[in-house]
Amino acid sequence: MSITDEFTKGLWEVIPPFRLVLGLCPVLAVTTTGINGMGMGLATTFVLVFSNLFVSLLRRFIPSQVRIASFIVIIASFVVIVELVMQAYFYPLFKILGIFIPLIVVNCIILGRAEAFASKNGPIASLADGLGIGLGFTISLFVLGCIRELLGSGTLLEIPVMWSSFEPFTFMLKPPGAFVALGILLATMNLITQVQARKGGGR
Amino acid sequence: MRDIIKMIIVLTIIGAVSGLALSLVYEGTKAPIEYQTIKFVKEPAVKKVLTGYDNDPIADRKKVVIGEDERGKPIELIIFPAKKAGATFAVALEGKGKGFGGGLIGVMVGVSKKGTLLDIGITSHSETPGIGSKVGETSFTEKFKGIKTDQEIKVDGISGATYSSKGVMSAVTQALGYVNTFSKEIF
Repeated sequence: MSITDEFTKGLWEVIPPFRLVLGLCPVLAVTTTGINGMGMGLATTFVLVFSNLFVSLLRRFIPSQVRIASFIVIIASFVVIVELVMQAYFYPLFKILGIFIPLIVVNCIILGRAEAFASKNGPIASLADGLGIGLGFTISLFVLGCIRELLGSGTLLEIPVMWSSFEPFTFMLKPPGAFVALGILLATMNLITQVQARKGGGR
Repeated sequence: MRDIIKMIIVLTIIGAVSGLALSLVYEGTKAPIEYQTIKFVKEPAVKKVLTGYDNDPIADRKKVVIGEDERGKPIELIIFPAKKAGATFAVALEGKGKGFGGGLIGVMVGVSKKGTLLDIGITSHSETPGIGSKVGETSFTEKFKGIKTDQEIKVDGISGATYSSKGVMSAVTQALGYVNTFSKEIF
């Protein structure tokens, strides 16, 4: 696969929450608004890109018996960096995302990419992979966040967009609403894939 | 045997490098984090408890050493002075008390130079939402207005939230204790 393929696969083919169905905990928890989803996505992307890069650079140096421990140390370091930087420069977002920032350490997407991709491929391909998967994750969270924000509070990016008599579905802001929105998005994506496959000769 | 040594060395190096990198980031973000915490957590409370000043209490904040921790490092208390025509007439400072379940309640206390409690505002707490969190409501916080610094802090607690109310009282007691002990440095 070329570098571009490594990058673009994360945006559709294996887009994390929908295709890999990985890392659902933050996906469901923080996507109450579009901005929150995007903040969480970007924080995860940062960690993913740098952990991929460093795991890939160190892959010949790390003995395979202690690779998981080493990966976790690398990932955890970048998570702490994200946490400190967010606290210093984006305090309100840091307050909202709260516990989910430190929990990026145990997000299985990141360890999954380190183990499945970065430890077997070169640094540039790993960077592209991390960036692609990260952006895919960010877009998913942003879209999910926007849908929930639109239906749950009647705003989009904190600007009221619904008609005045619109009664917000508070349900959409609660965890079950996240499951419902995620399910509908997944179904839509599967439908698109099916239609595409039929057009392309019906595989 | 050689494998084990290699594993130990690799893990040690990775850990050490990470630790070093993190300590650098920590040092670099320390000042902005302190500023952000003060701006978003303390500023609303400071604005609530102090009135009638013409300076910026956040920018004019000063630190008073109130003791040492077990490592011999000084413990600092941040004082937000309210000034009029350059003279401090009241200060805001924070005290902490144990709430329900052992979590700390942070209370910003405004004290005038004459030794009267002006108002209090909750800065941080982890009390039960809807029950203990009621201590942040004005109907409770206004009970503290007008108490003298040399008086015992005792107000009617909120029924159902006895521990949270007591936590606020002990936080206020702590803050006033600092005022009494370090009045020269504070004003």
